[in-house]
Amino acid sequence: MNDVFENIAQAIGRLDPAENTKILLNSAVSQGVNASDIVEKGIRRGLEIVGQKYEAGEYFLSELLYAGSLVADLSEILKPALKNQRIQMRGVIALGTVKGDIHDIGKNVFRMLADSAGFEVHDLGVDVDPSVFVDEIERSGPQVLGLSALLTTTLPEMKNTIDSVRAAGVRDKLRILLGGNAVKKEFGSEIGADATALDAVEGLGICRRWTQK
Amino acid sequence: MMTPRERFEAVAHFRKPDQLPWVENAYDETILQWFKQGLPPEDVTVIEWEMGRGGTALANMTTVKGFNPYRYLGCQWLYGCLLQVDVGPLPRYKQRLLNETDRHLELLTETGAKARRSKTARYAWYSMPMFVEFPVKDRETWYEYRKRLDPEDPKRYPKDWDTEDYIRAFETYQEGNTMLRFNGFYGFGAELMGIPTFNLMFYKDPELMHDMIEYWEYFTVETIRSAAETLKDRIDVVYWWEDFADRHGPCISPKIFREFFLPHYKRVTDFLAKNKIDRILMDSDGNINPILDLIAESGINGLWPLEVNAGMHAVGIRKKYGEKFFLIGNLDKIELAKGGEAMMREVDAKVPPLKELGGYMPGADHLIPVEMTLARFREYGNYIRRYL
Repeated sequence: MNDVFENIAQAIGRLDPAENTKILLNSAVSQGVNASDIVEKGIRRGLEIVGQKYEAGEYFLSELLYAGSLVADLSEILKPALKNQRIQMRGVIALGTVKGDIHDIGKNVFRMLADSAGFEVHDLGVDVDPSVFVDEIERSGPQVLGLSALLTTTLPEMKNTIDSVRAAGVRDKLRILLGGNAVKKEFGSEIGADATALDAVEGLGICRRWTQK
Repeated sequence: MMTPRERFEAVAHFRKPDQLPWVENAYDETILQWFKQGLPPEDVTVIEWEMGRGGTALANMTTVKGFNPYRYLGCQWLYGCLLQVDVGPLPRYKQRLLNETDRHLELLTETGAKARRSKTARYAWYSMPMFVEFPVKDRETWYEYRKRLDPEDPKRYPKDWDTEDYIRAFETYQEGNTMLRFNGFYGFGAELMGIPTFNLMFYKDPELMHDMIEYWEYFTVETIRSAAETLKDRIDVVYWWEDFADRHGPCISPKIFREFFLPHYKRVTDFLAKNKIDRILMDSDGNINPILDLIAESGINGLWPLEVNAGMHAVGIRKKYGEKFFLIGNLDKIELAKGGEAMMREVDAKVPPLKELGGYMPGADHLIPVEMTLARFREYGNYIRRYL
């Protein structure tokens, strides 16, 4: 059975053509392999391989995007089989681009990876007011708040958002992760974030560590 | 004493200038901030005589064309004397408002994309649009768009295009470099399809990518042909815009670059070389280290801005690649904008060793941002001059 999962994982890791990977998946489903096991041991493992290759400098943005698209196709096939099954979620992430900034490419790549890796992601969109982040924290109780900014001129809004979270008395309930082209590691520490990710894969790794059970 | 142009040419060819050219480029909004901070408009405003109000009156009138504070502030403008060849879609899409909310505007842009802009952002440039839809989505939309990319369209050249006049102008200009500018293969595709779609298509529809990139090579060469064959080496430098990297690295892998881009790069750079245009400056933000070998192989031989925050190190590149690239920039704009010790540390650490190594023009590692005050820019200018 482990071969089935490993084959799917390796096909994703190698970025095989979608048709080939779908054949592997359909074969597993027709053999009666549990769909949630396919997700957890095959697809998520495959994405981990892609992430490792990205960090090793073998894969780049194109490869990340293709892996995400491949996983989305595979998940679509598994949807009927997963209807009555419960997939173990790694945790909840509330995510958004801070007020004044309307850019979302990096945020969307992170969301795609986090989704595929088994996080429940609540994407609040772009140009998000601090009060909207606070409301979401109170509503869904995420373990991670992800703040993104592309523009250096909107960096102060990251601090304003963290200050608002603190003022609402919910800062201790979660960890805050910064991302986006404008942020540097030192900046994150200065304004009271728990971590700063320089790219989507690093951000996902940080979330995984934070939510390890 | 050398002119600014001669200095630029000397350094770009690894010869010793009488002094290093200090090369900068600022956002227009930075210059507007500087006016508020004491930059004298009478010294930096570019005014030209032309027919009144865009040709609506048969009268010769003065028109403000923009601002050029560079000579006044003691540096060269990166763009120097720029030949206005139009590489966009013709006919242009008519920019118009599509939707409006209390916080955002949604516009159809001149390239045919739908873009969202913030109404509340303090700076217009920094509210640079977030593209929400692109004109090219697939093969069908590409073929439709291609109709607007006819290199033979006479509107691609300035309305006063006259070879003898331009030859004279490009021979006599001395304030900085003379430049021909166009979009590279990634820059064009990402602009028409959007970064995510364009990157994804290398896997999902590689044939379409080959088709688009091949057409772009044809379009580029044929569009610039008249300029290149007329002006030849009176064009000091070609500015090749790509912007294909982020902090992690290039958006495309070396494998994709080699397969999809490299042959087309070589054909364009060969065409330029045949016309004796031998300095080709690539503009890409981000970390391009993983594909620098391929960029060198492609015929590109200059790099700007060498973004420090993305891990680009001009000294390391010079040591590794020797004279394969002349370099501009690499002074961390954020550190420069802080002024004082931070600015001096940045200049001290890089300018003297790079001057010694040659083929380097100091400047910020991108456009000067609005965070840089006029006083800080002057302080930076006064400090850097000791090394020029």
